[in-house]
Amino acid sequence: MDFSIRAANVDDCKDIARMIMELAEYEKVSDHVKVTQKGASCSSSDSRLSPGTSDADLEQDGFSKNPFFHGIIAEVPEQHKTKEGHTKIGYALYFYAYSSWSGRAIYMEDLYVMPEFRGKGVGKALMSKVAQLGLAAGCHQLNFAVLDWNKPSMDFYLSQGCFDITDTMGYHCLRCEGEALKHLAQL
Amino acid sequence: MTSGGHCWTTNDIIPLLFQELAKYEEMEHQVTLTEKELLEDGFGDTPFYHCIITEIQGQNSSEDPKVVGFAMYYFTYDPWVGKQLYLEEFYVMDEYRGLGIGSGILRHLSNLAMKTRCTGMMFVVAENNEPSVQFYKRRGAEDLSQEEGWRLFRFDKDSLVKMAAPSEE
Repeated sequence: MDFSIRAANVDDCKDIARMIMELAEYEKVSDHVKVTQKGASCSSSDSRLSPGTSDADLEQDGFSKNPFFHGIIAEVPEQHKTKEGHTKIGYALYFYAYSSWSGRAIYMEDLYVMPEFRGKGVGKALMSKVAQLGLAAGCHQLNFAVLDWNKPSMDFYLSQGCFDITDTMGYHCLRCEGEALKHLAQL
Repeated sequence: MTSGGHCWTTNDIIPLLFQELAKYEEMEHQVTLTEKELLEDGFGDTPFYHCIITEIQGQNSSEDPKVVGFAMYYFTYDPWVGKQLYLEEFYVMDEYRGLGIGSGILRHLSNLAMKTRCTGMMFVVAENNEPSVQFYKRRGAEDLSQEEGWRLFRFDKDSLVKMAAPSEE
């Protein structure tokens, strides 16, 4: 199947927002997430957030002078578009990070390919592009997170040569947000 | 006791602190980052990280202040909730613990997170590091790995190079 991988631009935000929502459905949290071109917001039924949490503004946060993330898009030619007319069928979001032990790192926040386009090398190509970009920027590692029940994805990643540092090193992700963050700021 | 809001000076302390922390996490042999890289990556045109340090004044006013703690952080992004402040490294020298320095650093960083419109502060802790896990949980941190099932994965340099190579179709 013919497809191309390219850097995302501000005009892609609508499709990125759509696919973020689709990824949220895959991750089984779609009833907690509302995504718009202007970004995502979570409903207050999400126990992780308090009402009034600010929206993630994709356009401002990703495509202004100082972006907080970068994107790449997988696109198919017109003749392969979905029945809804979409030619943008996959994406990855990444940003640069840092390891105090080994230096520059690249973090892949999202990786998604629409279901009907899976198994054709699109995911691999997106990840390969992230790897290339990371190496070009002098990074020594690519980090990302996977849900523990997501066996297809875990198998795919492990087959590409990565390792599970939650398993091998016992690393857990912790987050302080909402009221807890406000409280910490006042201590 | 003053908290240095301004960052790192090119002395030997920071690399030593990293070595000490790596010993605490029992991984000292894995620290390959050099002082030169730290300088370039934190103070070049595009910083990859930011640092805050805590200094204390010596007994004599003529003495240079001593660096006794530091934190290294950078900004990350969660497409659902926006900017996050990611705490990469956070350390207070042994003999200066229990004095509120750690809490002071966290307070400074939380304030900074809120000022810069971050909706959360994130960090990674080794599950066997009980003191640190409790330190953060006492302050309201949630363990996303435990509660939501997130596992961290990594590709090291060799695997990255293999993945970046064009595939044979």
